[in-house]
Amino acid sequence: MPDKDHKCTCSEQPLVPKVVEVIDIIDRTPDVKSFFVRNVDGNGLPFQVDPGQCGMVSMPIGEAMISCTWQEEQEYLEFAIKRVGLLTDELHQIEIGQQIGVRGPYGNGFPVEACKGKDMVFIAGGIGLAPLRSFIKYCFKHREDYGKITILYGSRSQADLCFKEELFDLWPKESNTEVFVTIDNAEPDWNGHVGFVPAYLEELNPSSAGAVAVVCGPPIMIKFVLQSLEKMGYNDDQVITTLEMRMKCGIGKCGRCNIGSEFICLDGPVYYLKQLRDLPPEW
Amino acid sequence: MRVLNKAKIETMLNRLSADNDVYVPMLRGPGTGFFSWKSYDEDYDELVLDRLNVFMPPKQIIISPAEKNNIDLMSGGAGASKKIIFGIRSCDVQGINFQDEFFGEKEIESDSYHGRRDQTIIIANACYYPAPSCFCSSVGIDPLHPVGADIIIRDTGKEGYVWEACTDKGELLTEKTADLLEEKEVTIPIPLPFALQVNFDGVSEKLADMDDHPLWGKYSEACQTCMLCTYTCPSCYCLDLQAAHWRKANYEFSCFDSCAYKNEALSTGGSSSLEEAATRFRNRFLHKLRFYLQNYGKPLCTGCGRCIAICPSGASISKIIAEVQEANL
Repeated sequence: MPDKDHKCTCSEQPLVPKVVEVIDIIDRTPDVKSFFVRNVDGNGLPFQVDPGQCGMVSMPIGEAMISCTWQEEQEYLEFAIKRVGLLTDELHQIEIGQQIGVRGPYGNGFPVEACKGKDMVFIAGGIGLAPLRSFIKYCFKHREDYGKITILYGSRSQADLCFKEELFDLWPKESNTEVFVTIDNAEPDWNGHVGFVPAYLEELNPSSAGAVAVVCGPPIMIKFVLQSLEKMGYNDDQVITTLEMRMKCGIGKCGRCNIGSEFICLDGPVYYLKQLRDLPPEW
Repeated sequence: MRVLNKAKIETMLNRLSADNDVYVPMLRGPGTGFFSWKSYDEDYDELVLDRLNVFMPPKQIIISPAEKNNIDLMSGGAGASKKIIFGIRSCDVQGINFQDEFFGEKEIESDSYHGRRDQTIIIANACYYPAPSCFCSSVGIDPLHPVGADIIIRDTGKEGYVWEACTDKGELLTEKTADLLEEKEVTIPIPLPFALQVNFDGVSEKLADMDDHPLWGKYSEACQTCMLCTYTCPSCYCLDLQAAHWRKANYEFSCFDSCAYKNEALSTGGSSSLEEAATRFRNRFLHKLRFYLQNYGKPLCTGCGRCIAICPSGASISKIIAEVQEANL
């Protein structure tokens, strides 16, 4: 443990948040908003992030660990936040120009280097696309480093699809890239696929040869997607997921997010399935 | 040897309190714990230096979680005064050593832990007569020579306390109080043997394959979720961080938490890694007996025996370790 270090760079005291200004808010779905923040003096960011890293977002009511979107031009930080609890409820009521607290970055991030040269299969459900979006954007920025990119995304309904512009306009235009979108139940004006993500994944059956699957979504989806991937011939070292655990401190001290001797905020949240198999079954 | 006459204890504590906040073991209301000598009320409180294992170990003194009406935490401002912990036992000194290791390591060096710790002097009371639930010798702690103490006092009965300075800090304090100490030869008591021995050998390795063992269900079934085992444990350090709005100001504060709570790990959206009582129970014991050892090389237990004495369901760490030792895998 003494050789592990949290990555927070934004403050002298790791638990004290830095106050930032919300410079823009975009409605992604009826209950998901993206918040864009930067330092209150207008210059720069409270911290830089790698794809898959998180930041602690705070309001006077409390704090929560939120995945932070990697930006090509790091001029602001983006947090895509679904309204689900006390803090996110408050956050959804703020307006552009207001200030919130952030601290970070925390966590290991995606193994962007280790995945180079591989075919990438991104599988996301609901707001689970938010962390994967960082990795997807990173792959497109360094397009020549990665093989074929397959993106499979599902949500409950059309209205709940996040990041529609990227899903339907931007990403399909990228070279050697396929984007598949599904919703759980049929809707009158929906011409796309209807059904759950794991079943659609098996139907599409992207080859496991030289591929890495990156999975994020609700726990039930992850559970079945992992089973499907196993059936399709993906080994445990070809599957990456990012865990969501309750985190309080972000620096491995509060004891909230441990799985075995690992603290998700320090050692995670991104794990190969192979690593998870060695841990107690809490994940 | 230097000896503090028992009649001069209060004079000594008053003297020490002139420059420091001195925490001493007291019986206060329904329970015992370490309280500031400045708050001592002779009609209500009783100094209990001879008491083994006061109810609350002095684990809140250095990391200073929320105090009543004084929610100033992360800044460390309130907690950075000069402190003396007087009459602490070997096991509880080890509890502070665990805090040094865990909160003092590089991750939060910039936090105020070191500042507070450097200003704290530990005056430990050597234990000669272990309680039936004590087993500190089983985790490698010497009850007669607390490692980490600046001064050790030894109760010799009516002769008073032998006073030994162990560090420069202790020596300096001893010089300042030399006029209260007398030089004489006294007989040091002969320590009694421990009634309880706990064998930690191989437990950590064996636990690696016991995730699904029925033992966790058996003990968690009886657990009443009172959390006394965690709150009274000198080595349990899990914290909760909370935000509060109080008198028109916003505060963030920490307070002790317990891994036995069902919603300790409850995430927004309703999922929890520690939903099942048996999982929480296993996580607690594995943290103590395996996970901490994996990260720091020793089990997170000081052998004070509080959890054994206090658990209303009789789920004692010594029984659990014995069951692990006997388990056929």
